Amino acid sequence: MSYLIDLATKNLFRNKLRSFISILAIALSVALVVFVKGLVGAFIDNMYSLHIQYQAGDIKIIDQEYQKKERLLSLNYPVDGFNGGGIKAMEGELKRIKGIKRVIPRIKFGAAISTEDEMIRMMGWGVEASKELEFTNIKDKLVEGRMVRRGQREVVMGADLLKKIGLKVGDKTTILYQTSFASFKGSTFKIVGKIKSGLKLLDEELFYLPLDQAQKILEMPDMATDLLLETDNYRDLEGVLAKVEQLFKDKSADQRYSIIPWDKGYSMIGMLKVGEKIYNGIYIFLVILGAFVVINTMIMIVKERTKEVGMMTALGVKSKEILSMFIIEGIIMGMVGSFLGVIVGALITKLTAITGIIDYSKAMKGVSGNILMNPIIRPEVDLSNLLYAFILGVVVTAITAIIPARKAAKLDPTEALRSN
Amino acid sequence: MSLLKLQGVKKIYQQGRVEVEALRGIDLEIEAGEFTSIGGPSGSGKTTLLNMIGCLHRPTIGQIIFDGDEIEKLPKEELAMLRRHNLGFIFQDYNLIPVLTVYENVELALRLLGDVEKKEIKERVVNILKSVGLGDYINRKPNELSGGQKQRVSIARALVKEPKLVLADEPTANLDSKTSEDVLEVMLEMNQKLTTTFIFSTHDPQVMEYAKRLLTLKDGKIIEDRKNS
Repeated sequence: MSYLIDLATKNLFRNKLRSFISILAIALSVALVVFVKGLVGAFIDNMYSLHIQYQAGDIKIIDQEYQKKERLLSLNYPVDGFNGGGIKAMEGELKRIKGIKRVIPRIKFGAAISTEDEMIRMMGWGVEASKELEFTNIKDKLVEGRMVRRGQREVVMGADLLKKIGLKVGDKTTILYQTSFASFKGSTFKIVGKIKSGLKLLDEELFYLPLDQAQKILEMPDMATDLLLETDNYRDLEGVLAKVEQLFKDKSADQRYSIIPWDKGYSMIGMLKVGEKIYNGIYIFLVILGAFVVINTMIMIVKERTKEVGMMTALGVKSKEILSMFIIEGIIMGMVGSFLGVIVGALITKLTAITGIIDYSKAMKGVSGNILMNPIIRPEVDLSNLLYAFILGVVVTAITAIIPARKAAKLDPTEALRSN
Repeated sequence: MSLLKLQGVKKIYQQGRVEVEALRGIDLEIEAGEFTSIGGPSGSGKTTLLNMIGCLHRPTIGQIIFDGDEIEKLPKEELAMLRRHNLGFIFQDYNLIPVLTVYENVELALRLLGDVEKKEIKERVVNILKSVGLGDYINRKPNELSGGQKQRVSIARALVKEPKLVLADEPTANLDSKTSEDVLEVMLEMNQKLTTTFIFSTHDPQVMEYAKRLLTLKDGKIIEDRKNS
């Protein structure tokens, strides 16, 4: 076998320009895969991450009736624990499940602020600030002031919302809302922080207040509208999900609450998952395009070396060894090309990650706040992406090299020896 | 027992709808150590006969027994192994691998055997190259050699594994008469020194005269089989 590898390696130097072009073609397609995968991966991961942080958690627990009317932000169907025992006790039970890192309660409710000209509609999020700071990236988005504190009548608002209502950090504002008993009320809060995230939801539509204050003003003691669970690995929920479902079954709460994993029941996430599969096909297609040059080269090589194949057969080289020799030649081209492609691809991805290549800021202006997407995409250099692109490059080249290699292995030795 | 025995060997090729009978019943026995030439005009079946003996083709009818093995009964893989261990080939066009040095071209035949130590390979390759007068050319590439030198490399490659039989298809066809004589001298010397059996084809009567046994083919049949005094 070693002589086949030696020979295949030396054969690459027969026509250096041709080998270089083949390697270059593979390198370019692999570099493209690294870059596109880094870009698409960053885009999708970013959307998943924002979706989990601000919408779904790894797993979301909500009342089944609330799920049907989630967009109305109804307070009539809260999560109030097992058999009305409160969310604190429920949190305690949930945290006992191995794999659950954190339980994050939120109360989402509709609210409004009256300015001189108009009534500005908003969404209030009652949150436990410390958990939000750990679970979401809100800390990086606070451009002024600080996050709300438990027990304080204070709010944090988005920069665009503050602009709309003409207030700034340090000002006080009266917020209008409807309690869980449907009575209209108004409460005054101090604005203690400003958020600028590039996300319409955070910048323009919602304000944060401490959970205890939300529970108090909305008359929802020890309740929340959503209970988000953070797990050890959001990509592997099966085990944890089964345990949570079992707990709710044991507590006879399975008929009341919906336990929703982050990737179920959200059309956008479903589309992204389909997109991921389509892109996987595109990556393979990209490398196949590069491999066409290798096939072409290999066909020329086999044609040029027909006589040599005849000679080798006469020397006693078996058909499968001839096949192996040409495939090894393809694999070496694939390996060198893929290695160069991975390096070039990683460099391009790294450079564009620093600058950020696509700015959707303007396009995002008219998009609903429910679509959580960072306006600037920064591709990621991920070791698994590099490995994937390298292996893909080598495997596709090896497979495509089989076609001409088989042709060589099937050559009739006497006819091969007669060829010119 | 003879090294090679052909009994009623016929080879029929299909060319479109026409059947071409390249060999029309060859009966032949070759003893170990012979230095035999196959002569005859172009199209007489010399190359076809060498290909049959070299296990590159199977006869349509008839039997070829090489060193006790009926080769038409052996599967393709075993035929390859038989060629690898027992047969050496010398080609008209030398068929050296251009990216390999003289040493590596010869070494290839030994590396294929798989069970020869690196040290022994080196020893045998250097010795055989010295024997064919190429001791000073081991690191040259084929494109740095003359036609005669290339053919010597080809002879060395065929002999280095010490095969039982060496087949040479018109080994001097591309060489001038002086170089042809040199190459034939080398082959003859190797035949005498190593007692390797040689069968070579040629249509050059001058070259034929080097052989100890002369076979003449015409229209796929042996029309003459004589010893050369």
